[in-house]
This record gives sequence, C-alpha cells and structure tokens, in this order.
Amino acid sequence: MSDQPSTPEPSALEKTQALLASLWQRNLPTLRQRLDTLDQAVAVEPIAPGLLNEAIIIAHKLSGSLGLFGHHHATEIARELEHLFRNPSSAAPGRTKFLTQELRTTLALPEAPPTA
Amino acid sequence: MRRVLIIDDEDDIREVAALSLEAVAGWHILTASSGAEGIDIAIAEQPDAILMDVMMPGVDGPTTFRTMQNTPAIAKIPVLLLTAKVQGVDQRRFADLNVAAILFKPFDPLTLAQQISDVLGWRDNQPATI
Repeated sequence: MSDQPSTPEPSALEKTQALLASLWQRNLPTLRQRLDTLDQAVAVEPIAPGLLNEAIIIAHKLSGSLGLFGHHHATEIARELEHLFRNPSSAAPGRTKFLTQELRTTLALPEAPPTA
Repeated sequence: MRRVLIIDDEDDIREVAALSLEAVAGWHILTASSGAEGIDIAIAEQPDAILMDVMMPGVDGPTTFRTMQNTPAIAKIPVLLLTAKVQGVDQRRFADLNVAAILFKPFDPLTLAQQISDVLGWRDNQPATI
C-alpha cells in the first residue's frame, strides 16, 4: 500500500476566497435586480417617494457588501448614491443617474436589452 | 472556544463573517437573519458576543439592541453593531446605545476576528488546532 501525501487543509484565505467567488456568482441575479431598481428610481427626478426609500436601502446594502468582493470603487459609488438619496437637495441634476450607470459599468453588469 | 452570534438579514454577510471567524479564529458561530430570531438564539445559547447588522427589515439593529438590553437573560452579552459607512452621517447617532463597538462594512474577512477580539479584550483568538 503506497502512502499518498494528504491534501493540505485550505488556508483561511483560500477558504474565504472560494466562498466569496461562489457567493458572487450566486448573488448576481439579486445584484442585477437591485441595479434595475436603482435605474427605475433615478429615471425621473425627483425620485418618486415610493422608490426613494428602496433606493436608499439598496445603495446602503451595496456599499456594505461590494467591498467584500473587491469592488472598492463600486463601494464608493454606492456610498455617494446613498448620501444623495438621503439628501436629494444636494444632488446635482442627473448625478444619481450618472452614478447608477457608472455602478453598472464598474461591475460590468450592463442593462438588459428592452424586450420587443 | 468563543461563541459568537451573527445577526444579519443578508445571507452573504452572514456566510462570509461566519466562515472568516471560524476559519481564522476557530470560534463557534451561530447565525440569525433577524433581530427576533437573534434574540431567541441569544437567550438559548448565551453567546460570548453578538455581531449585529444595523439596517435590517422590520426591526432594525438599534431597536433589537434595546430589546436585548431590557432582557435580563442577555443584557450583559456584548453587542457590536455592523454597518455600512454613510457619507456625512454622524456616527454619534449610535453613541447613546452603549454598544461595545461599531464595526464598518465592508469588513476584511481576514481581520474581522482580530477587530472583535481587540474591542472585547479577548486574548485567546488563536486558530483552532485540528
């Protein structure tokens, strides 16, 4: 019987990286949905009250989670969006729409094409 | 072995935080997806600390914390709030809560255990031996 070297236990870093990669893929649909909601919210200024609270929550959640996956620039965009949603009077016209589009670009998640 | 309860409505956050604390520090991790569930688990399991999200649907972190403070069985368990940094928002809004600490998201999974240990004065956060 030959002795096979045992596979070393993955390090904490390796385990974390593997989990993060898996979670990113798993949550892409949720992320796309959140971005779609943000698009809807910023399509018209001022943001409809019904959408504003949802936009705040989404921006807050994104600012707290995107950095886990290495998306630090996207985190900063989400933070600025949350600030502008919470303080609408401080937002320059079109700024939130621009930032939402930049968020998509940064995450490489383009909008879905319109259905015919 | 330290036992820590993580309360967060976001699955990702719970999973990453739990893995990082287990893998890096060897702690035993309990999780809950809401304040109400967290309170039930805390009463039943008596963790050494609670790491709790601020923004949760329904009952948020600060409200849950106040309930915990008014529940003798768990009032003395240290609670650390976890929240995304918000531009221009005065973090002193949490100052009257008397929580053990405010930690910010996104956190570094590899140093979260050290942050918690430093705040709580734990000196035994060595990885568990297998």
